[in-house]
Amino acid sequence: MGLNRRDFLKASVAAGAAMAVGMDRLVPLHAQAEPAVDKWAKAPCRFCGVGCGVLVGVRKGKVEAIRGDPECPVNRGLLCIKGYSLPKIMYGPDRYTVPLLRQREKFVEISWDRALDLMASKFKEAIQKHGPESVGVYFSGQSTVFEGYAINKLMKGGIGTNNVDGNPRLCMASAVAGFYSSFGMDEPMGCYDDLDLADSYFMWGSNFAEAHPVLYSRMVERKHQDPNVKIVSLQTFTNRSSDEPADIAVVFKPNTDLAIANAMAHVIVKEGLVNQEFVTKHVAFKKGIEKPHYGVNDADEYGGQAPSWANYKPFADKGQTITFDEYKAFLETYTPEYVAELSGVPADTIRQIARLFGDPKRKAVSVWTMGFNQHVRGTWINNLAYNIHLLTGKIAEPGNSPFSLTGQPSACGTTRETGALSHLLPGGHFVANPEHRKKAAEIWKVPVERISPKPGYHTVEMFRALDRGDIKVLWINTTNPFQTLPNAGRYRKGARKGGDRFVIVSEVYPSETSRLADLILPSAMWVEKEGMFGNSERRTQHWAQMVKPPGQAKDDLWQIVELAKRVGHRQLFDYGKVPLQKGLFEEYRQFGLGKGKDLAPYEVYARVRGGLRWPVVDGQETRWRYREGFDPYVKKGERVRFYGNADGRAVIWARPYEPPAESPDQEYPFWLTTGRVLEHWHTGTMTRRVLELHRAWPAAPVWLNPEDAKSLAVQTGDRMRVASRRGEIIARAEVGGRNTPPKGTVFVPFFDENVLINLVTLDAFDPISKQPDFKKSAVRVTKVSA
Amino acid sequence: MRCVNRKRSVAGATLLFLLTWSVGAMSAEGPSPKSTRLPRAYEGAPPLIPHDVEARKGVCLACHATGENGAPITPHPTRTHFCLQCHVGQDLTVQPFVKKRTN
Repeated sequence: MGLNRRDFLKASVAAGAAMAVGMDRLVPLHAQAEPAVDKWAKAPCRFCGVGCGVLVGVRKGKVEAIRGDPECPVNRGLLCIKGYSLPKIMYGPDRYTVPLLRQREKFVEISWDRALDLMASKFKEAIQKHGPESVGVYFSGQSTVFEGYAINKLMKGGIGTNNVDGNPRLCMASAVAGFYSSFGMDEPMGCYDDLDLADSYFMWGSNFAEAHPVLYSRMVERKHQDPNVKIVSLQTFTNRSSDEPADIAVVFKPNTDLAIANAMAHVIVKEGLVNQEFVTKHVAFKKGIEKPHYGVNDADEYGGQAPSWANYKPFADKGQTITFDEYKAFLETYTPEYVAELSGVPADTIRQIARLFGDPKRKAVSVWTMGFNQHVRGTWINNLAYNIHLLTGKIAEPGNSPFSLTGQPSACGTTRETGALSHLLPGGHFVANPEHRKKAAEIWKVPVERISPKPGYHTVEMFRALDRGDIKVLWINTTNPFQTLPNAGRYRKGARKGGDRFVIVSEVYPSETSRLADLILPSAMWVEKEGMFGNSERRTQHWAQMVKPPGQAKDDLWQIVELAKRVGHRQLFDYGKVPLQKGLFEEYRQFGLGKGKDLAPYEVYARVRGGLRWPVVDGQETRWRYREGFDPYVKKGERVRFYGNADGRAVIWARPYEPPAESPDQEYPFWLTTGRVLEHWHTGTMTRRVLELHRAWPAAPVWLNPEDAKSLAVQTGDRMRVASRRGEIIARAEVGGRNTPPKGTVFVPFFDENVLINLVTLDAFDPISKQPDFKKSAVRVTKVSA
Repeated sequence: MRCVNRKRSVAGATLLFLLTWSVGAMSAEGPSPKSTRLPRAYEGAPPLIPHDVEARKGVCLACHATGENGAPITPHPTRTHFCLQCHVGQDLTVQPFVKKRTN
């Protein structure tokens, strides 16, 4: 395995020769000179969950240049075009620089004092009249660790409501529920090193090449080094991740990933590819509740009753232990032939993929993101991916790794780890657990009764509660829900229904969310403030403030503390002479120490280039969890211990195939799936303000299959209407290029506020994780005549 | 926080050089003898692509490996299959994006 010396020399010579030949066309030497900057400082990239290290070049108080940090083990100096565009994200001409208050249909400038007093009075009034459950905050996987921890403490430990949720509910909740149900602890056992060490790679419903480019290129470089490496790409439409160098690229029908994963387990069991010793020692078997709701009816999370806070009883799964034989009997249904019929993937291909996975001589890495997580059975499909790794024992060791990729730079570090979701407390603790509440109350120095045992509203229910008027005051920070919520039209209207509703939005640029706000607070962003992010591989990275925010824009952490002071919780953020960020972080660390979530002291992160992967014990980071010799929590002689579960065993779940919440029919005959393009980040509020990125993809198109284009008589550039039972958009057709959907499917990216595709999507969600499914809506597609 | 001075970032500069290649003579339809090099976002930013990318997916190295048709030669020929991660096409008719202010 790996690149041998001769190959390496050959590659180097070839590179040298190419450079010599092309020298006349290469950049003149003066252009390779370093950009003129006053200093370089380290930071993680502002965009995705990969967490590339960057060096930020600052000149005269302005960010002028960026480099990939060669010392950061994540990216080793490489970035994608979004990362290289970082110097321009802060300098759009329409930055918010002063607080704005809505007066009828206009916004007027007001002072910070007035803005904060007003915000606090709205919070106090609602709490007094309607109780703490009438206020909520909706934060972000792009908030810093400090901000996530602080808002969680203020709401849960101060105001006494668990109505704290964040946009990771739209992107990572199914991964979290998958980790907890399979391993009893959140976040991956492996790390990015596995991408350099495996023989077989399985990409599941994830356009890895566009959504996590730097990691994708790490996998591709591994393939270049060793022709024995095989890459399998399982997608619902052909995209860049299906292209070369993938060896097997399949397109399956939406939701049938559940059946394909079970068919792979079926083949692995039938063909004797099970690692019997591993399964006997380290695995337990369970089944859960079948045919749960899809979240499409408002009464679903209220036990069928009329929705109200009193009736709020979110669905919870119940596991029941079964035997290996019972699990094998469950798998009987999922023959490759049966699943071929369901999924459209030939039975022989399913066998080929399962055998490649099961080959005991080959190490296997699986990667997935939104195709699995934004799924009405998202927790289940996460479980099923782990099943295959557990059956074959290919887990928690170098090169054998099921790897759930995150979308946002700190979905892990902020939202998941500081517990800024409606059912969590910091460091892997739960509001429903009395011991956990007691521990949180002690660390926060608040009465234990203050922390409510009842989970708050999760995202979809939070916005439904705003729509029906049960949430009166909502603070939205560092995220753009009125572009990103599924069935967004309903929630956009809900926000502006008036009455006691008051929506506060902290933003950097005008967005679809800020335009529906009552009060807009101008925020500092990225290196305009100090921060920490935690990436997909448990890596925590710190950066210092490097430049000043424009005008009166302020750090979100400052905004949280100023609100706390005005609602009577000043003492929660009083750390005496210790700087606030350090005080918060050192307090937050106490939640995880000795619990498998050990973080290093604040100063260590401030110093270390590239950060560290937790648990950090005795100054050492952990690359592979649950494995003796790598994880300090696994004792000598135990070899493997899944210590998140009391019995030390991981769980293989019998999870059936179930259909999506909505499928195409006569009236709405197409599938709509949504997602990303490489050049834009989320709703484009930052990337569209970078000219080079905007010119690369100025508008979201509708990608169509060439046969559908022919039968609809459309060509690239023609105007198309995509309509569902919820709403419609008009966008230009795109036939060919990077994406080719199968016949009967269209793909529309969600970055473009002029193509609000979430007016069209369905707000169905996974009943366990509460994460919506943005990938499966039934639509009608027609040509718009000129 | 540790500032990174220039001496420390020699490795960075070397890497930057390897990531850097010029854009030469290409037009929207195909190779052209005239250079259409686009300005970079800043010194050290990856060169932009002055021709259509979507229709030519997967064939970058047909020209950029050897300089066929006057194309600039990639200084990092082993980084194949993910050229478009750093280098992106440009629609020069598009104006900068500014949202109409709500106030």
